[in-house]
Amino acid sequence: MRHDACCGIFLITLTLDFSLCLRPPCATIALSVTRLNVTTGGTVERFAVLQLSGCAGCEVSLLNAGDWIDKHRLTYMPLVISTHDVPEVETLLVSGGVRTEEDHYNLRQAARRADRVVAVGTCAISGGVASLGNRDEVREVFLAQAERRHVPRLLPKCRPIDAVVDVDLYLPGCPPTPELFMAALTEDPDFEPGRNVCRECGRKKLRDMRPEHLTGFQEGEVLPDICLINQGYLCVGSSVRGGCRALCTRPGHQCVGCRGPSDAFIEKDAEEWLSSIKRIFESLTDIPEEELDRALRSPQLALFLFQFSDYAAPERPPRPKEKML
Amino acid sequence: MATLTFPLSRIEGHARVVIEVHGSEIVSARFEAMEIRGFRYFVQGVPAEQMPTIVPRICGVCSTAHHVAAVEALEDAYGVTPPPLAGTIRELLLLGQIIQNQATSVFLFTMPDRLGLSSMFLPGDEAGPDRDRAVLATRALQVRRAGTDLISLAGGQFIHPIKAIIGGVTSGIEPQAAADLREQLTNALPIACELFDYYWDQSIALRDRIGTWGDDAPTHYITATGDRCPNYDGISPTPVIRVLDPDGAACETFPARAFRDHLTFEETDYSYAGRTSYQGAVMRANSLARINMTEQFGTPGADRYLERFRDAFGRPAHAILLFDLGRGIELVYALERAMEILDQPLDHEDTAVPFNTQDGEGCGLVEAPRGPLIHRYQIQDGLIDDAEFIIPTIHNNLAIERALRVAARRYVTAERIDMELERAVGRVVRAFDPCIACATH
Repeated sequence: MRHDACCGIFLITLTLDFSLCLRPPCATIALSVTRLNVTTGGTVERFAVLQLSGCAGCEVSLLNAGDWIDKHRLTYMPLVISTHDVPEVETLLVSGGVRTEEDHYNLRQAARRADRVVAVGTCAISGGVASLGNRDEVREVFLAQAERRHVPRLLPKCRPIDAVVDVDLYLPGCPPTPELFMAALTEDPDFEPGRNVCRECGRKKLRDMRPEHLTGFQEGEVLPDICLINQGYLCVGSSVRGGCRALCTRPGHQCVGCRGPSDAFIEKDAEEWLSSIKRIFESLTDIPEEELDRALRSPQLALFLFQFSDYAAPERPPRPKEKML
Repeated sequence: MATLTFPLSRIEGHARVVIEVHGSEIVSARFEAMEIRGFRYFVQGVPAEQMPTIVPRICGVCSTAHHVAAVEALEDAYGVTPPPLAGTIRELLLLGQIIQNQATSVFLFTMPDRLGLSSMFLPGDEAGPDRDRAVLATRALQVRRAGTDLISLAGGQFIHPIKAIIGGVTSGIEPQAAADLREQLTNALPIACELFDYYWDQSIALRDRIGTWGDDAPTHYITATGDRCPNYDGISPTPVIRVLDPDGAACETFPARAFRDHLTFEETDYSYAGRTSYQGAVMRANSLARINMTEQFGTPGADRYLERFRDAFGRPAHAILLFDLGRGIELVYALERAMEILDQPLDHEDTAVPFNTQDGEGCGLVEAPRGPLIHRYQIQDGLIDDAEFIIPTIHNNLAIERALRVAARRYVTAERIDMELERAVGRVVRAFDPCIACATH
């Protein structure tokens, strides 16, 4: 029988109030990956993937970027590897938000063993869709009803990872594209971050097609090739970071801002960003300002837009555009 | 009394198993889900039409199923029937999800258990067959990539798709794009079969080594696919959940909206996920339920594997490690069925019908890779007043815990705890391929 199939922690707690931690004889894999002499000569960069509270979509995207498989050594990623401790690595990719005490602890421990920390995806960067639960009226009910014994406690709010550790690089997107993963892993100096979604969308902006009200989220028939704003949709692609190839807007789905602010807005406060959106709508539509304001300021109506205010949160220095892919 | 805690890996999300033993007696075996984000709470107040964009974020592995279930729930609430071509394109979406999920579960999550490895991405301790591992990993990624590319084609994005909309889908598929993807699937199919044949042999070897296929006591099974053949169109006029009794006789069917009258839901204090039972009895969903409850698949390769499976294990088959083989058969089916669909014209007619919003209740039902997924929304003033997500993984939670007790009894004696228990715990949980992000949401 081979004993290398598992290297997990086999923890036995006795009721006599002491515990012992046994490691089976097979627990050597985590060690074996630290000696990395590669036959081709150079060293292979080791990287680990720490998943906090999220959806694993970022991990799935990484698996799709399979090109790393020959060039980098993945040493920790519980989704596909049975290793229970983060080893020392050059790069630590972190996905998901900090939602539980355990997320907080695991993040701190892992970051200590990494040369650089990369925040992967909208949840790690700004809390993501789970931040919709940070509103006071929601979290009071949520925390009261979801609480359980024996499992990691929920923190009062879902936080981005740079509220806990220093971050060297941000990979925006829900999820980031496979290309971004490769650019981050290879530290490609020629990689050019996308500018904004509008530039990649290619739909034409018209001056003479001016809706008077917002069109409901999935309502109406979307006309091809014409800007979604001209059709009344609350599309925010003009100020959202590009690099996604406009995968949503081209088939006719408004941009909901999953990749966060473009370089022009990233270090500015949310008000500037809001006024920019309003200016665009003013030039292309006759939608009353109050209607637009209501939609943009509602955490529900505008979906991912709450993260623009998070980018400019006063308790933390702004995320510099140089660190954003 | 001793408490044994096993962290889990090679499953989606954060969970652990806790087993309490007293001498040779297994006092309890708990499957604990350790994360929650609160989707049920924070979607309250959201405009109902945004649900198809928000709920895929419940899970990046199962996003397609949530996307389609949300659209269906809203169509049910608004009284809209999408055109047939929309159903066909949604079927492609869900087949893409089956391909990517089953390829991941079989070739990346559970293959290492057969080969004595901790991962398909890490070399084992021994010098020797590592080149084989690397080749297997590369091929596994190639097969699952075919599934994600299919989701991208039909859904716009491969992780959080956007193309299913209330009343249909945003667009059809152009002939050239369909032909390109068909070619990719044609190339992936023999690779998938070769990997699966190898996996099948290694599974037999595993059984010979450990002497069991795991918990094989009969249970109820549930699925939302058809009884004559699988149907993943996500649009059937009256989709129903079917129940098989432990003897293998069809026992009842019920519509998704009546689930509370047939399934019992309860919470526990040790997990962020609840669990369902069939009126108190253990039941199972996922691949083995579909294998037991589907007459035939209707595509040649999958039906050959199904015949081989039934010759070897009978019908209904109950042993839990057979879930893993079932996933391989479904992978072959999904590849073959998607190729059939891509041969048809997919841009020849309307893909959506207009709709009017209205308040009320809507229920969506989709057979996700892990079993029947139900979304139930209560809509008031156009906003979500209440949302319930009945997740397939929770249909299996009682079955997982029962199988854990079976494994624990095998490896725990008054004198010692056999270290094989840790591997057995991993195999048991992975056989059910639970998804914790979904189960807790």
